[in-house]
Parts: sequence; C-alpha cells; structure tokens
Amino acid sequence: MKFPVLQGWMVGSGQRPLRKQLAITLSAIFALSILVAVVLLNQLFGLQARDLIDQRSSFFMDAMLAVREYTSKDVNPIVAPLNEGPGGFRPESVPSYSAQTVFAYLKAKPDYREYSYREAALNPTNLRDKADSFETGVIERFRSDPSLTTLAGEKSTPLGPMHFVARPIKITKESCLVCHSTPDRAPASQLLTYGDSSGFGWKLNEIVGAQIVTVPQKAVFEAKDRSLFTTALLFVIAFVAVGLITNGVLNQLILRPMREISRKAEEASVTPATVSFDERNRSDEIGLLARSFERMKQSLAISMQMLKDRQGRS
Amino acid sequence: MSAAGFSARGPLLAALAMALGLMGCGQQPSARVSLCGPAGQLRVGFVGAEEGRGSTGAVVLPDQDISRLRDLLTVASQCEVMLEPVASPEQAHQRLGASEWDVAFLPPGLAALALESSANRGYSLLRPLGQRSQSRSQLLVRAGSDRRAVADLKGARLGLLPRGSLTGFYLPLYNLHGLSLQSVHYALSYQELLDQLRKGQLDVIAWDAALPDPGGDVRVIVNDPNLIPVGALVLSQPLVAADHQPFLKLLDESAAQLPPSLGYVAGVLPEAQPLQRLRTVVTNVESWTLPLEGRPYAVYGRKQQLKDEGVMR
Ligand code: HEC
Repeated sequence: MKFPVLQGWMVGSGQRPLRKQLAITLSAIFALSILVAVVLLNQLFGLQARDLIDQRSSFFMDAMLAVREYTSKDVNPIVAPLNEGPGGFRPESVPSYSAQTVFAYLKAKPDYREYSYREAALNPTNLRDKADSFETGVIERFRSDPSLTTLAGEKSTPLGPMHFVARPIKITKESCLVCHSTPDRAPASQLLTYGDSSGFGWKLNEIVGAQIVTVPQKAVFEAKDRSLFTTALLFVIAFVAVGLITNGVLNQLILRPMREISRKAEEASVTPATVSFDERNRSDEIGLLARSFERMKQSLAISMQMLKDRQGRS
Repeated sequence: MSAAGFSARGPLLAALAMALGLMGCGQQPSARVSLCGPAGQLRVGFVGAEEGRGSTGAVVLPDQDISRLRDLLTVASQCEVMLEPVASPEQAHQRLGASEWDVAFLPPGLAALALESSANRGYSLLRPLGQRSQSRSQLLVRAGSDRRAVADLKGARLGLLPRGSLTGFYLPLYNLHGLSLQSVHYALSYQELLDQLRKGQLDVIAWDAALPDPGGDVRVIVNDPNLIPVGALVLSQPLVAADHQPFLKLLDESAAQLPPSLGYVAGVLPEAQPLQRLRTVVTNVESWTLPLEGRPYAVYGRKQQLKDEGVMR
C-alpha cells in the first residue's frame, strides 16, 4: 500500500478496539464501492434512459402511423362524401388530423406529458405544421438521403435542450394526392377552411415532412436519476445490513469469548485452581488460545504448589 | 454493538449524500412559472386583425414571422407553443367553439364571438389589435343591376366570407334579415367575391368600406352604420385565472418584434364596449341555421335591435 497512514488507520495498528477498526475498514470499502458504482451506473443509466425514450418515441410514431392508416382506410371513405357536400370541412377525414388529435389525448396522461409530437412539413396545409428552421434541416436530410429512416439527437430551444427522434413522412398513396396535389382536386370545403395557397403540389414518393417526437433533456436526466437513486439506496441498505451482521458475528465469535478468557486468566493469576478454561473444547482458534491458557494455568498451579511445599519444609 | 453500528453507518450515509450530490449536477432550475394550457402546451390561434384582405386566402403570415412569433410566445409563456395561423375565420370559429385555443389573435368578429361563450369557457380581451380604420360593412351589387334597395335582394345569390367575419358574414346577414336568398356562396377573400360578382356568378357580395375603392362597375346597395372596432388578443378563462401577468409584460416589452401587420398595442386594454355592442349581432346570427354553400337560404331568426349610443356618423 502506498498510504501507510491510511493503511495503519484502516487495517488496524492496534490503536482502537477491534470492532472499531473493522467498522472503519468496512465503511471505507463500502463508501468507495458505492462511489465507483454510482459513477459507472450514472453512465449506464444515462444510456438506458435515452434508449427507453427512443423506444417510446418509436412506438409513438408507429402508433401514429397506425392511426393514420386507420383514418385513410376506414374513416376517410365515410367522411369524404360529407366534405364534398355544402357543410363545413370535417377534419376527421384527414390522417394527420386524427394522428395529432390522438396524440393530444395521449399527452393528457401524466406519463406522456413531457412528450410532444409534430408532423412538420415544408409546405403544410395547416400552417401550425410549418417546419421551423431546425425541422427544415431534418426534413432536408431525409430528402437528400432516402435510406435514412430515423434521426435522433439533441436540439436547443427557448425552453432548454430537447431530445428528439424523427422519421420521414413520404407520400406513398395516390389517395393522399386528392387533398395535397392541386386545389381543384381537393374538396371545396377544405379550401374554405385551409385556403388554397399551401399544402399543395406534393408528389407521389416525395418526402414532404417528418414525424418528430421531442422530450425535454431534463426528462431524460430525471428518468436516469430516479434509477440511480433507487440503486444507490439499495446499495446503502445492503451495505448497512452487511456491516451490522459482521459486527454481530465478530462480537459473538471472537470478542465475547476473548473477554471471557481474559477475565479467567486474570482470576487464574491469583487462584489458578478454581478457574477452568472451558473454551478449550472448541476446535477453533479460541479453543487453541484456551488450551494454551489452561496449560499456563496448570504450570502456574504446579509452580505455586512447589513454592508452597518449599515454604512448608523450611 | 450500537456504538460500532453508528460508526459504520456514518460514512455510508456520507457516501449516499455524495452520490445524491453527484446526481444533482447537470440540472438547472427553471426560473419562471410557465403559462400552459390544460394539455401542457400553449395553443395559440392566429387570425390576424384583418380578414379577407389577401388575394386568394393568401398565406396568413410570412414564414419568418411565424417562427419569430412562436419563439417570442415560447419565451413569454415558458411553455411549449403550438402556434396555429389560420386562413379562414371558419377554422377559428371551430377552434374557439371547442376551446381548442388558449390564446388567440383575433379580428373583431371572432373577438366578439369569443367573448360570447359561457362564463368558464369564454375568453377575455387582453390587448387591442389592428389600426382603427374606416371599416364598415357594406353590400355591393354590379353597377348595372336593377336592384336598388335591400328588399330587391330577395332571390339573389349572395357571396360571403366564411362564418366568423363581422363585415364578411355576421353584419351582411343581419342586414338581410327577413329575405329569402336563392343561394349563399363563400370565398376566403373579398377580392375573390368581387371577381365572382363581376363575372355574374353572384348578385350581391359582402364588402368592407375600408378596402380600396372597387371601381365604377359595382355600387354599394347597403351601408351599415356601425363602425367596426379593432380586433383583440384574447386569453381563455382558465389562463386568465392563472398568473398571466409575466406573459403579458414580456409581450408588451417585445411589441416591436411582433409582426407589424398585427397592430399590437402594448399596455392598453381593448375597449370592450364596442365589441359588446356588436356581440348582439353575432349572437343573433349564430342562433340562426348556418347558410350552406350553394344552397337556398331564408335569412330568418331572432333579431334584436342594436342600442343607439355606439352608432357613428
Ligand atoms: C381529405 C383530404 C386529405 C387527405 C386524403 C390527406 N390529407 Fe394530409 N392533410 C389534409 C389536411 C386538411 C391537413 C391539415 C390537418 C390539420 O389541420 O391538422 C393535412 C395535413 C397533413 C400533414 C401535416 C402537415 C400539414 O400539411 O399540415 C401531412 C404530413 C399529411 N397531411 C400527409 C398526408 C398523407 C401522407 C396522406 C395520405 C395517406 C394524406 N395526408 C391524405 C388533407 C388530407
């Protein structure tokens, strides 16, 4: 060991009772292990939390795709004729509308409150979906590299750093073009509600936008900290238990018999004949010690007897 | 046992504290309370103060204005902002009716409508929007038309802006009360209506006196006396109850960064009086059945007279 002071202090130079020496040594070892574990787990849990959030985000996007599909296949055919009629436009026929509405309901649950979902487009029908400069960058990357299926990373916002996961939105169905190609193909009621100046001119197989899930970076850290805290707490509880048990065992196994032997040895120094080291029947080190004392006691008794005899003769 | 137990626990607790301290790093405290809607977002509607002005339902706001406004609102509210600029008052009408906006920049007709909703669902006026202009509701016919008075408009084809517009929808219908029309048609801009009037597809259209002179080939047949008040920035009741002063203060301080076309006036409460007066028109027309595109329509229902004091001219 490089630190003789520390070594002496911890491993016992005999300055303190055994029990204290052991306690100090154990605490130091435990504290050090917890510290190392926390530092390592901090990294591990950070990765895990991000993974979990990426997984959830992927799930959201898949779920929203399913909602879109459902709307396209099952709802639109029923609602679309209404939109050709004289009444107002029913957005329930729009895949994007149902996806964003369903997500809003999801978001109302406390578990998902932190998450937000956007279907950003370069040329959106609803100007709410207009891609900002960051989203435009993401969409342009998808457009320039069609093999790219997911992008994840960090972005900074006025509310602090955010973690995002994005996937491209591609026009794969001819049915989408009814409402997104030219104004004269779209239902008149849609034009009255959304205008005819944006959200048109989309092409088949074009990547027009992206699904983007964002979570505050803070939420990632919080998830990590929760796992870390629980684990650290478990460690501490386990170590305290180990410490207490060790302590009890030490007491039962060594300290008590040693104190007993020590008391008897003191007694034997005055009246060896009345003392009996019963521990000598044990087969452990305590027994060994007791047998040594027993022999010493007998020697002492013999010596004392001889002394007495000599005194009587003279 | 106990003495040793304590001396063993002490350092362990210290290690725990150390671990906790370590985890505390990397978090910054959030400085201000945020103003969010019930869904954890601030849903902002944007119609702008003037309706029907674009050529054909033109883009409501230029792109850079959208992102600047969104950022500004995010900073002011400390909440994720979903900014929805809409081209059509009809869209805004639906959103307001369903309380789907927490904050909205509205023209006068929609502001009056927003006030109208019931106590816990309605909106409060925060700031006036738009310049006071000579805005007044008019109805136009072709110059050569032989329709001279309101009564002559019976059986006409009427062109309106979508529901929600004061000069484009509520006042024209209010003034045509009692007539049966051949059909009602909608467009997103006055210009579109004017084109259709000129082409003979419509017989009478809604018009706003503040618009540039439409030319000699059309003439005004109905001139509504009510001067149109300015629009308003409105806030939903739940947020009015929340602490919205920091939000408003920051908007006031950054008024210069808001799109100039918005006409945001910092530090002033809008005059509720003129809007309240026109609410009567809005509620009356709202209680009627909605005229459908291309269908015949009898302008009929409850009609209360406006009180006189606000009448100008
Ligand atoms: C009935 C007409 C209609 C059909 C069919 C339709 N859309 Fe849309 N789409 C709209 C409308 C209207 C919106 C704006 C919805 C809103 O207000 O949220 C929209 C929004 C979107 C958006 C969000 C960005 C934006 O423009 O606001 C995307 C992406 C999109 N649609 C893609 C598609 C795809 C892909 C399909 C085919 C599966 C499709 N749409 C089919 C009418 C339609």
